Amino acid sequence: MQKIKDILKEFSTEYIEDYKKIWIKSKLTTSDSLLSVAKALKEEGLRSLSTVSPTDFPDTDTIEMNYFFEDLQTKRNLWLKCDIPREIEKCEIASLTPLFASANWHEREAFSMFGVRFLNHPDLRPIIASEDFKGKAPFRRDFDWDAHEKDTMIHMKMIVDAFKEEQENNEINLDADSSEMVLNWGPTHPASGPIRLRIHTDGEEIISVDPDIGYVWRALEHLVTKKDFIGAIVAVERLCFMDNINSMVGYSMAVEEIAGTEITPFAKWMRVLLGEVARVSSHVMGLGGFFNNLGLHTLFMWNMDMREFFLDFLESYSGARIATAAIEPGGVRYGLDMTMFDELQKAIEKFDEGIDEVYTIFVQNPTMKMRAKQVGQLSADDIEDFGLSGIVARGSGVKTDIRMDEPYAAYDEVDMEYITQKDGTSYDRFVMLFEELKQSVNIIRQAKKHIEDGVASGAFNPTKDHMVKVPKKLPKGEAISRVEWARGEVLMHLVTQEKSSKPYRLKLRAPSFNHTMMLDHLLKDKTLSDVPLVFGSLYICQGDLDR
Amino acid sequence: MMIIDMIKKVIRVFRVVWIKSPAQVDVRYTPMHHPARYRGQHTIDYESCIGCDACNKICPVHAITMKELPLKKQNIVPEVNLSVCIFCGLCEDVCPTKPSKSILLSGGRYDMLSGGWHEDQEDFWVNVDIPQSYIESRLEEEEATRVKKELAAKKRKAIAKAKAMGTDVSKPTFDGTPDFSGGAK
Repeated sequence: MQKIKDILKEFSTEYIEDYKKIWIKSKLTTSDSLLSVAKALKEEGLRSLSTVSPTDFPDTDTIEMNYFFEDLQTKRNLWLKCDIPREIEKCEIASLTPLFASANWHEREAFSMFGVRFLNHPDLRPIIASEDFKGKAPFRRDFDWDAHEKDTMIHMKMIVDAFKEEQENNEINLDADSSEMVLNWGPTHPASGPIRLRIHTDGEEIISVDPDIGYVWRALEHLVTKKDFIGAIVAVERLCFMDNINSMVGYSMAVEEIAGTEITPFAKWMRVLLGEVARVSSHVMGLGGFFNNLGLHTLFMWNMDMREFFLDFLESYSGARIATAAIEPGGVRYGLDMTMFDELQKAIEKFDEGIDEVYTIFVQNPTMKMRAKQVGQLSADDIEDFGLSGIVARGSGVKTDIRMDEPYAAYDEVDMEYITQKDGTSYDRFVMLFEELKQSVNIIRQAKKHIEDGVASGAFNPTKDHMVKVPKKLPKGEAISRVEWARGEVLMHLVTQEKSSKPYRLKLRAPSFNHTMMLDHLLKDKTLSDVPLVFGSLYICQGDLDR
Repeated sequence: MMIIDMIKKVIRVFRVVWIKSPAQVDVRYTPMHHPARYRGQHTIDYESCIGCDACNKICPVHAITMKELPLKKQNIVPEVNLSVCIFCGLCEDVCPTKPSKSILLSGGRYDMLSGGWHEDQEDFWVNVDIPQSYIESRLEEEEATRVKKELAAKKRKAIAKAKAMGTDVSKPTFDGTPDFSGGAK
C-alpha cells in the first residue's frame, strides 16, 4: 500500500487517503498526468482496471472521471479521480486501453453514455446504446429523455437503416470469390440470448468476433437516479434475475456507508443466507445452460426442478420467486418466520439427493470433457489483464473472491476457502460452477445453523432485528461497494448530493461486460461449432451485460 | 418365466390407470406453492385509507394513480394499474394505517391474469368501487364536523369577548346560539 502512495506522491494530487481496508483514494489535480500514473501503477502490479465511471457535475462544469485499479494477487486497490471539462469539444482524456486491455469496452461505454472522448483508443465506437443515441450523451444530467422519446418512429427507422447499411457494407467489403462471410449469431439464436455476435468467418474458421450488445438496455444507471433510495432496489435487482439478491446487497451497502448506518448481525447473516440461495439458483441455471448450449437439455430440466425448491424458500420469505426486492438499505426487508427454514431444509435435501447424479452423469461426461477441454483457454495473465472475475477467474487458478478479499455482510465469520481450477478451459469453468454450488450450499447450512442458534439463545429476534432505520435524506458523499455476485465482481459507485432523497449517480460495474469482451480473444482461429460452447462456459447474462 | 415377465411389464404399464400423477394439478387454479406473503393482486380498503399519497409517491413504476373523491379530507384513494405494476410491494410497506394496511398485496390473488381473453387494457386496473351511500355518509359527517367547529369557534369568540368585557368567564352570557357545550368540548 505504501508503494502505491509513494508513486502517487510523485505526481501532483489533491489528496491521498486510505479508504476502507484495502483501498487508497486519490485525486489528480490534472488529467494530463493520468497516463504516466497508470503506467507506474501497472509496473507496481495493479494490472486490472475494474471500470471507468464518469460523474457529471453541470454546476461546476466538470465531469469527474473515476478509475478503479485492482491488483488481484496482493488485493491492493486504488480509486483514482480526475476532473475534465464538460463541454463536448473539450471533453477528452487519454485512453488507458493501450496499457490496460480491460479498459476497452468500459471506455467505449463512457464515450457513448457521457460523450467523453478517449484519445488514442484503438476502437472508439459507441456501444450498448442504439443508433438513435449516436452523438448524444444520454447519461448526462441535462439530457432530455422526454424530447428524445417523442421521435420513436424516426429512431426505429434509424436503427433498421443502420442494420441494413451494415449488411450491405458486408457484401461490399468481403471478397466475392473467397469463402469469407459475416455471420450474425443471434440475437434470436436459441443459445445466445439477446446478443448478436458478428462472426467474420472463412468457411468454418473464425477470423474475428465482434459482439453487438444493448438489446436489453434499460438504462438502469439512469433509472436509479429517478427513484428514491428505497425504490432504487427494484432497478438494481433487475441487473439480472438469476442472482438478484447480491446486487441489492451491494447497493444497500453503499447507501448504508453514506448514511453511516450499521446493520444488525441478524440482518448480516440473513444477507449471507439469501445471497447464497440466490447464488445456488443462479449456478444451477448456469450448469444447465452450459449443456443447453451443447444441445443437451436434460441437465437443465433436472436443475430447474432443484432450483424450484430454493425459489420456494425465497417466495415464502419475500413473496416473490424471481424479483424478490428482499434487501433494503438498513438490513433485510422482512422478518423471518422460523417455519420457513423447513422449506430451506427441504431444498437442501433435494440438492443433496440429486447432486451426485449430476456429477456422475454430466460433470464426468466423457464427450463433454473431450470437447470442452480443448477450447476457451484463459491463462492467469489474461485474467489480470482483462479484469475478469468470478468463476472465470477462479477457473484459471487466480485466487480472487470478494467474499474473502473484502468480506461484507457476515462473510468474515463464514468458514470457506478459495476454490480454483488449474487450466482455465471451458471445462474448468464448468467444474468451478459445480464446486461452487456445493460450497454455497455449505455456506447456507452454516448461516442457517447460526441463525437458528442465535434465535434459540435469544441473541437474534427474527421478527424485529431485520431492519435499522436509514434516513430518507442522505448527506453529500460517495461510496463504493463490491460484492461477489454469481457471475463475478460487481462494483457499485454511488454518489449523493446534500440532503438528497435520490441517488445522484450509480455506476454498476458488471462482470459479464468484461467476459463478453473475451469472445474475440477466445474464438479466433476456432471453428463455428465452438461458439456456443465457449459462450456458454463464460456464464454471461445479458441483463448485466447491457444494464 | 417369460410369461411372468410379460405379465409384470403389463402390470407396470397399466399401473398409471390408478396411480394419480403429481402433474395432474391445474396450476391455473391451484397453485403449487402459495405462501402468506405472496405478492399478488392488490386489495384496497377505502374506509381505512387516510389519503396520505405515500403509496403513490414511492411506487417505482408509477402504477398507482389517486382517485379523487368529492370530499374535503381523505379525498384520494389509490388505484393500481396491474399491467404496469411490478409487484414489489413497496406501497404496502409505506402504508401507515394500522392494524391492517389499506393497500395490501400480501396473500393476494395469483390468478388475476387467467380467466379468459382480455380485450382492454382497462381490465388490468384495480379499481375502487365506492358506493354512493358511503360518500354521502362521509359528506354528512364532514358537514356535521364543520357545523360543530363553527359553533365551537363562535363560542370561543363569545367567551373571549365576555372576558374582555370583564364578566364571569365560566358563565357566558347568552348570545342567541343554542347551547351545544355538551357535544363541543
